[in-house]
Amino acid sequence: MSTSFNLAWRLFRHEARRGELTIILLAIVLSVAAVLSLSLFSERLQGALKSRSAAFIAADAQLRSGEPIDENWLAKAREEGLSTAKQVATRSMVFSGDNMSLVDLRAVNQQYPLKGAISVSDQPFGEKQEINALPAEGEAWVQARLFQALNIALGDEIEIGDGVFTVTRVLVDIPDAGFSIFNTDPITLINMNDVERLGVTGPGSRVRYIGYFSGEVSALSSFSDWLLPNLNDELHAWRTVADDESAIGRSVANAERYFLLASLLAIVLAAVSIAVAAQRYAQRHFDPVAIMKTLGATSQLIRQVYLIQIMLITLLGIAIGLVIGFIGQQVVVSLVAEQVDVSLDVWHWRPLLIAVATGATCALLFSLYPLLQLFSVPPLRVLRKDISANLRSRSLQFIASGGAIFSLMWMYSQDLKVSAILFSSGIALVLGLLAATYVLIVLGRRLGSGRMGPWQLAWARIKRRAMDNSVQLISFSVTIMLLLVVLVMRNDMVSQWRSQLPEGTPNYFLINITPDIQPKLDRHFNDNGIQIDEFYPVIRGRFVAVNDEGVNTAVSKEDEPNREGRQGLGREANLTWSSTLQKENKIVEGEWHAGTDTLTKEGLYPVSVEAGVAERLGISMGDKLTFNVGSEIVETSVTSIREVNWQTMQPNFFFVIHPDAMASFSPTYITSFYLPTERKPELTNLLRPFGSITMFDVDARINQVREIVDQVSVAVEFILVLVLMAGSLVLIAQVQASMDERRQEIAILRTLGAKGGLIRRSVIYEFLIIGSVAGFMAALANELSLYMLQTSVFQMEGSLHFEYWAIAPSVGAVVVGILGAFGCWRLLTLNTSQMLRKMV
Amino acid sequence: MIKANSVTKIVNTSEGSLQILRPISFEVKSGESVAIIGASGSGKSTLLGLLAGLDEVTEGEIYLDDEGLHNMDEEQRAVLRGNKVGFIFQSFMLVQSLTALENVMLPAEIAGLDNPKKLATDILEQVGLKHRANHFPNQLSGGEQQRVAIARAFITSPKILFADEPTGNLDAKNSEKIESLLFQLNKDKGTTLVLVTHDNALAQHCTRQLTMNAGELTETTSRVDEQHIEAV
Repeated sequence: MSTSFNLAWRLFRHEARRGELTIILLAIVLSVAAVLSLSLFSERLQGALKSRSAAFIAADAQLRSGEPIDENWLAKAREEGLSTAKQVATRSMVFSGDNMSLVDLRAVNQQYPLKGAISVSDQPFGEKQEINALPAEGEAWVQARLFQALNIALGDEIEIGDGVFTVTRVLVDIPDAGFSIFNTDPITLINMNDVERLGVTGPGSRVRYIGYFSGEVSALSSFSDWLLPNLNDELHAWRTVADDESAIGRSVANAERYFLLASLLAIVLAAVSIAVAAQRYAQRHFDPVAIMKTLGATSQLIRQVYLIQIMLITLLGIAIGLVIGFIGQQVVVSLVAEQVDVSLDVWHWRPLLIAVATGATCALLFSLYPLLQLFSVPPLRVLRKDISANLRSRSLQFIASGGAIFSLMWMYSQDLKVSAILFSSGIALVLGLLAATYVLIVLGRRLGSGRMGPWQLAWARIKRRAMDNSVQLISFSVTIMLLLVVLVMRNDMVSQWRSQLPEGTPNYFLINITPDIQPKLDRHFNDNGIQIDEFYPVIRGRFVAVNDEGVNTAVSKEDEPNREGRQGLGREANLTWSSTLQKENKIVEGEWHAGTDTLTKEGLYPVSVEAGVAERLGISMGDKLTFNVGSEIVETSVTSIREVNWQTMQPNFFFVIHPDAMASFSPTYITSFYLPTERKPELTNLLRPFGSITMFDVDARINQVREIVDQVSVAVEFILVLVLMAGSLVLIAQVQASMDERRQEIAILRTLGAKGGLIRRSVIYEFLIIGSVAGFMAALANELSLYMLQTSVFQMEGSLHFEYWAIAPSVGAVVVGILGAFGCWRLLTLNTSQMLRKMV
Repeated sequence: MIKANSVTKIVNTSEGSLQILRPISFEVKSGESVAIIGASGSGKSTLLGLLAGLDEVTEGEIYLDDEGLHNMDEEQRAVLRGNKVGFIFQSFMLVQSLTALENVMLPAEIAGLDNPKKLATDILEQVGLKHRANHFPNQLSGGEQQRVAIARAFITSPKILFADEPTGNLDAKNSEKIESLLFQLNKDKGTTLVLVTHDNALAQHCTRQLTMNAGELTETTSRVDEQHIEAV
């Protein structure tokens, strides 16, 4: 062992000093640095984003229950080191003199909220400020709308159930207020200790009990592992930040997937560069191995020498990579600190472990085949240079490297789907490239003959170095493809986020608009220069039967948890009617009922159902749906199923009925409008003539969403820059590696008197050809993988990017051509004898 | 010291099998120096490869110091080479990333000899390159590189030395130096030398000359015989 270590150490020391390990070392350094900086940055960013989105559920996780939450569960959570809080929520009538109103009553204990903050204002619709306090016993904090509805002022008393409360503050918002423009009664916040005496939580009342939990991820997951088996699906719902299905939740989730994707691609980039470098490294050692074998070295000794050497290289690469990665990430964080919140925790173990594991796995697995090749070099090579490795089976190489990439992706992402999509498009790309190389070779055979100009030399070289070129082409294409995926994905995602909430997105909703007020309201807003959106008629109705089979009409699951039978909506439905399809709605089955045929052939009115609810309730085309509106029965037939973009801030409806079916009902209308922040003070005056209308302010919510989207976009941009840098370095390493192989040929050409210009041009043309083919293939593979990623992972619409079919080959040609020219220029600065000597 | 019985070598090519060596039998005694001469492609390097255990015979037997190479696998042959055989090549075959001293130490380390560094320094001194010990091969001239190779070949005091065109890459002046160094050390250490060359002048330094022609080996003459003839 000492002989092999001495030899390995000596080779390692000299080769490192002489710069011969630069390429493989650079590849490992790159992989470790890229993975560490990316995952550390995204971990810190996610930490910050999570805590922001945690504010929307007032905790890291919530347990919603139809019955009081077991105190033992809360105690167990505290044992695990989590903080806990409680809320009891119900709908209740509130009275003040002759006025009354339905409110969303929330009673909370002293620990609430665990995340986010309660905000209040000095007067109804006034400037909001955060407050670090809760209503004392006997006090109620109520939202501005209730001041309108009950005609009360601060200090007045209100009655809730059997209790009397003094209104002490104007409540603006609580973190988990929810976000629905329907069923929104003004929130009234009281102290948990008051709940008992109100008598509003007795049998028959609809009460929701919420437990809040926050703390370390590990503590939270061990608690949820313990808790989940104890839960009854009918009664309990466990909800974490990740389950947040709101626009914000989805944006954050997509951003996380993007970071994951970027890091996965960084791993693949690193793997490609290590594979290229390891191949080169092994080939350079064919002679030393043959010499050592000739001098009596056994296979075991050779194996030990090279395994030790690879380990030394890997260790050094990992060490340098960790330092560079950490510094790089710190630099990025300090650059974006103003625009983006990042967690102040500098050191996270997971990214560190991932980076080390990636470096080690890539270095060892990707050098496995080249090393096996190296071990098989016969000693006879000392006499016959044309003899190289005995190992012929490339399938081993494919299995080793393919398996390594796939398992790394899977291990890291813990997402089989993403890994499988990227991996399979990678394989499709490799197959396509093999075919492309074949075409190139055939073309080269035709074009590479004739008088020796630079183009002929370039084609001839492509033909002659077919195998090397196919490897190079594949690695260039994979690199370009991965860069394209990251770039295009980022563009699509950010523009999709931005388009959800463009400038001028309605930030106020008006509900309860009666038909007689509607024209006046429209005129009034017009006179004040405010654009008001469409008016949608709305009427509350119960969805009672599908094909005459009654459905569970219980308003909430908690009411009758064990009732059997067909599932209903769980609450009253907001029915609307229209003959125009709402924007952002898409018919996925059937036809929109725009035609003049009022009745279907069964004699029923057409209804369009939202796809999600159709799936959940098992509704399909042609089904007969029965609604109970007031005392009337409305019978309809499903003529279309719609997909609705829930991420837009517009009223969306599960059921849209044909207008004729609803002609006899008197609806209220709902609409929305946009009011710039600076005009906010006008609001009270604006609505004064319309006392019966309820206004719902979503401005704060929209701003919050926008802020998060902006932050995430900036972060995504930096990730993109990081990946682009990693990718460019990989390209440089690849060109450098191939230059090494070209040295001999250039030396011979120069010896034979070829002018520098001819050689330089021929090398540049060769790289231009390879770069443009690689770019084109990458653009094709990019479309394939993007389509699969967008449709099945990011829940976006798939899109084609024809512009990249032109951009990628040109940029590929230019970048690879320039890199080739630079590499070649360096070689040409050496004089011929230096080059020849280096060849020996 | 070396014994070959009906050794043949057939290789398979895309155009069928090709017989490179016809049945060859001969013997080299301990301490002899034998030159195998012949035109390019006559099969002399193939024969050297077989005799040195770098390649396997198709048929026949080869004994090196009474050990049958034809019965050994690559591992056993490697051990035998390490213990008993030294090599010198036309293209020097030095490990580029090791210094002259380390290249010379290499066989001693592989064979597990004590104090390889001292052995290497001593023998580098004998070939006149002690002052270049820490230079890398590409910092040395062709002649110097071959002297390092000779030092490496002799460091383990092998019983047999195989040399493949040892002066093939050198100019006349360097060739002369290398020749005299090679034969001097060979004599000092009592090594058996098998040398492949197409250089008749070099071959003349050996006690026997064998000629390869289209895969067949014929004994041309031996210097002892020549001297004997002259004496007569």
